[in-house]
Amino acid sequence: MALDLNPGQQAGTEIPGLPKATNSPRRTLLWVSIAAVVVLVLGLAVPLVLTNRYYMGLTLAAAILSFHALSVGFLAKHLGLISLGHTAFFGGAAYCVGIAMTHWGWSPLMAALFGLVAVTVAAVPMGALIMRSSGMVFLMLTLALGQALHTISIQPASRDITGAHDGLQLQAADGATFLGIDFYALLVPQSFWPLAWVMLVVVIYLLWLVGRSRFGSLLEGIRENEERMRFSGFGTFVPRVAAFTLSGAVAGLGGVLFALNAHYVSPELLSFLAAGDALVSAIVGGLGALLGPVLGAFIYTFSESFLNFGGNLQLFMGALLVIVLVFFRGGIAGIVGTLYGRSRRKRAQKTTTTTTARPAGPAEPAAPADSKEPGA
Amino acid sequence: MIAQLLNGIALGSLYMVLSSGLAMIYGLRGVTNFAHGSLYMAGAYVAMSVSANVNFWVALLAAPLVLAIVGASLELIFFRSLQDRNHIEVGLVTFGLSMILERVIVLVWGEQTHTVSPPELLTGSMSILGASYPTYRIFLIVVALVMAAALVGWVQYTRTGLYVRAASRDVQAASVLGINVDRVSLIVVCVGGALAGLAGALAAPYISVSPTMGMQILITVLIVVVVGGAGSIGGAMVAGMALGVLQTMGNIWVPALAALIPFVALVVVLLWRPQGIAGKKA
Amino acid sequence: MNAKKKIAYSMSAVALMALVTSCGGTEGGGDAAGGTEGEPIKIAVIPPTSGALAEFGTASREAWEYAAKEANDNGGILGRPVELVIKDTDASANTTLQAVREAVTQDGANFIGGVMTSTEHNAIAQQLEGLNALNFNSNGKDDALTGADCKPNSYRIVQSNLMDINALADSLAELPGETWAIQAVDYSTGHDAAAAFTEAAEAAGKEVVTEQFAPLNTTEFGTYITELKNSGADALFSVEYGADGVAFVNQADQFGLTDQFDTVLGFNMVSEPLFETLGDRIVGFKNNVGYDVNADNESNQSFVEGFEEEYGETPYYVHADNYLAAQTLFAGIEEAGSSETEAVREALKDLSFDSIVGEVTVRSDDNQLLRPSQIGEVVEGEDGELEFEILTTADASVTTPEASDECTM
Repeated sequence: MALDLNPGQQAGTEIPGLPKATNSPRRTLLWVSIAAVVVLVLGLAVPLVLTNRYYMGLTLAAAILSFHALSVGFLAKHLGLISLGHTAFFGGAAYCVGIAMTHWGWSPLMAALFGLVAVTVAAVPMGALIMRSSGMVFLMLTLALGQALHTISIQPASRDITGAHDGLQLQAADGATFLGIDFYALLVPQSFWPLAWVMLVVVIYLLWLVGRSRFGSLLEGIRENEERMRFSGFGTFVPRVAAFTLSGAVAGLGGVLFALNAHYVSPELLSFLAAGDALVSAIVGGLGALLGPVLGAFIYTFSESFLNFGGNLQLFMGALLVIVLVFFRGGIAGIVGTLYGRSRRKRAQKTTTTTTARPAGPAEPAAPADSKEPGA
Repeated sequence: MIAQLLNGIALGSLYMVLSSGLAMIYGLRGVTNFAHGSLYMAGAYVAMSVSANVNFWVALLAAPLVLAIVGASLELIFFRSLQDRNHIEVGLVTFGLSMILERVIVLVWGEQTHTVSPPELLTGSMSILGASYPTYRIFLIVVALVMAAALVGWVQYTRTGLYVRAASRDVQAASVLGINVDRVSLIVVCVGGALAGLAGALAAPYISVSPTMGMQILITVLIVVVVGGAGSIGGAMVAGMALGVLQTMGNIWVPALAALIPFVALVVVLLWRPQGIAGKKA
Repeated sequence: MNAKKKIAYSMSAVALMALVTSCGGTEGGGDAAGGTEGEPIKIAVIPPTSGALAEFGTASREAWEYAAKEANDNGGILGRPVELVIKDTDASANTTLQAVREAVTQDGANFIGGVMTSTEHNAIAQQLEGLNALNFNSNGKDDALTGADCKPNSYRIVQSNLMDINALADSLAELPGETWAIQAVDYSTGHDAAAAFTEAAEAAGKEVVTEQFAPLNTTEFGTYITELKNSGADALFSVEYGADGVAFVNQADQFGLTDQFDTVLGFNMVSEPLFETLGDRIVGFKNNVGYDVNADNESNQSFVEGFEEEYGETPYYVHADNYLAAQTLFAGIEEAGSSETEAVREALKDLSFDSIVGEVTVRSDDNQLLRPSQIGEVVEGEDGELEFEILTTADASVTTPEASDECTM
């Protein structure tokens, strides 16, 4: 049974399996590609504009959280599945980097590649198991996956490998570098930023391409009605596993970047609360839009920093989550999308003929114009 | 060995009380109540205060009552107005609510870990089949079993129970047949809240009262409900008891792996029977 | 890891930062480690304000506030006022790290105190050289912090677990009980303590008949207690602390477990903040005592008196350890005649000074403060309130004769 979580993604106009009816796909591709390059270049200048080291640090933390939120958002957007266990990939990859460097003496680059490859490969059998389910059962299985890994990481038996509750401090050989950046310079947000930013823009661009590809349409068809897709002669299991693996890889990339920047890994990365961070970010930003989770990660990270007084962070975050879920369906991106859609409709002076079964306004995928990240 | 078995049954009894309420709410509203751990925690704190100011017996009544009211407001403010929404979305709302509730509890009662003494009558030990065992734990087991029997009786043999079963099976059909689903749902969420309150009150002298108690038990209880068969009260009770005993025995026989037992149980059951032990076919 | 090289790298990181900064204009917060006259000495205090450890966080903050107030009332340190930059954390490494970065880069603090867990200390240890700040650990007792994970900018003020265990081991021969059972947390502290205890027991001619480990955050101890009851031991060594310790003591009481032992020896298990909660159940329990509030020295008496006047409560070990951190830092600044990070670090090397726990020394090999560890028994005081009666005191020369050879700075 498919769950349509995001009111904005009413793909009712599509015929499953056929490419999306876009006015001129090639032109869109061109413009988005140009926009991506421009955003990429502009973003590299962030450390020059944002000279405050603290805010730079927050911006970087938000960018890293974005990967985790994006991976959760991707499954929600395309398959209507909510995961509470992508910590397994985010934290798992971070631990792989930590273990490879600290115990095996690998170079940072090799450790990073290992982390990414290891979780991506691991995501395939896990996806094959978990993707047989959907809805609540999917949520529980992912939760169990994340929690099981967390439990394993803190077992005293794994102490020699994971450092149990203490986590690991990353150790590198003298003079080690990562893609030309000194290993210890990776600790500095300014010097780490280009790495995180380039990866982030590339990942978003790739996810966008995936979303508009045949594969993306197929996934949305599965989300809307898996039975119908099967009757139409599409295998649905392999695409689901592929989507799970892709999202696992995105989360894993985030975890690799986290480990390289922080130089430590701890069981918190695998905890239920870390899963909550990513999920709340994705929901606040908006699950219906590709950029929603990124937006959410920035909002989440900065509000976390501003609201962290008197120990009431949890209270504020809970309230934020409830308010967004109850009143602002589709998240911030949803609001932006609605406003954008409304003004466009006004200009075009015509009504769309799509039938909306739900009361809330449609949250269209955010336009490239919205891709300017708020920290810049 | 008897004592260890009783330890398992005591833990299982606690899981049973807590998860049956969660399963009821899930069965009727389709909502995974992530706030159930916080309700349990609230029950324990209410019981602690009442127990300190009046006595434990009053606390044992007061905690379920207070939590039934909390449950009612949960139903009236959130579940009812959001009933057309996707169930997972509503579940995430309860996730936010639990974050709020846990912090509010800490603001009211502080961060310390507390102990609650059982009443005079229940202190000390008694002999069960030759094994000396704390009286309070026996009391807990008895209360839980009585509660379980009462709940099953209520659902099976009363008119309201019939409505509950009907509405859990198919909300639309039930309302077409003239059942007031909103009213049934209010009752169910109240009872669910009260059960969480009772579990909290029972746990206060049994375990201890601390700000992390809700989060710690939530995941286990969620697993119990899913394993038992989402929405099945009987299934949740059986699964809760089984998990309590398994965990306890696991602690003795395979201490290194005991912590993983709930997860293994979940994966095994869901792969073997995706609808859970007692779940109806999807 | 070659320490000098490591410093060189972090210096290059700092230089790189400076380069970036100079390109983009002046920085808002100003760099850390200002040292000119009249300017305040800024100390970041980052204790948990939420979560299970918030209670100790509050105590840490109170102690630092008291120390700062006392210093300022006496004309400051080097004639300069002491200013605290207080940040909140939930005791998670990530939040604490953010708070440390903010306090140092944003608010210009170059000393850090009040951080709680060993995990947090581990996480910030990595950043200290880059941030050019010193951290004073009054709460994290994990041995690795002055062992394999030691760092030149991290100081440990509180005793390490090893020091306290060695103190227990030292007094074991005098404690009643021949056959011992061990109940410990399934965590490095528990395993280390159990191993050290077993060794000491053998040396004292006693026997350990059973040992079992419960995972951290265990709430239901029935299984373990039942096993302990059947063990036939006549004394118990228990390493259960925090919420676990409370639950264990409470449930052990329900099972009537403690009645069967001649000695219940706790490690980090019972302490002053728990006296009210645990009540009469723990009278007669023995435990390691980090700080003796009745210690007969001038510095301590003035601290206890002043603190009671300020807060209306008697300080306990968390207050004392954090106050001692402030004493250490102030001694270092005065010795250096400057609050520059580098100068204070140099001055603290093997510095000895008089403190609330007597004369102490900062061992430069691992940055551990050398101070005594004690064993106490919970007794009912004259006013009916519980208190520790100190049984034995073990000097640092006994508990930690040498720095761990895993520590290279």
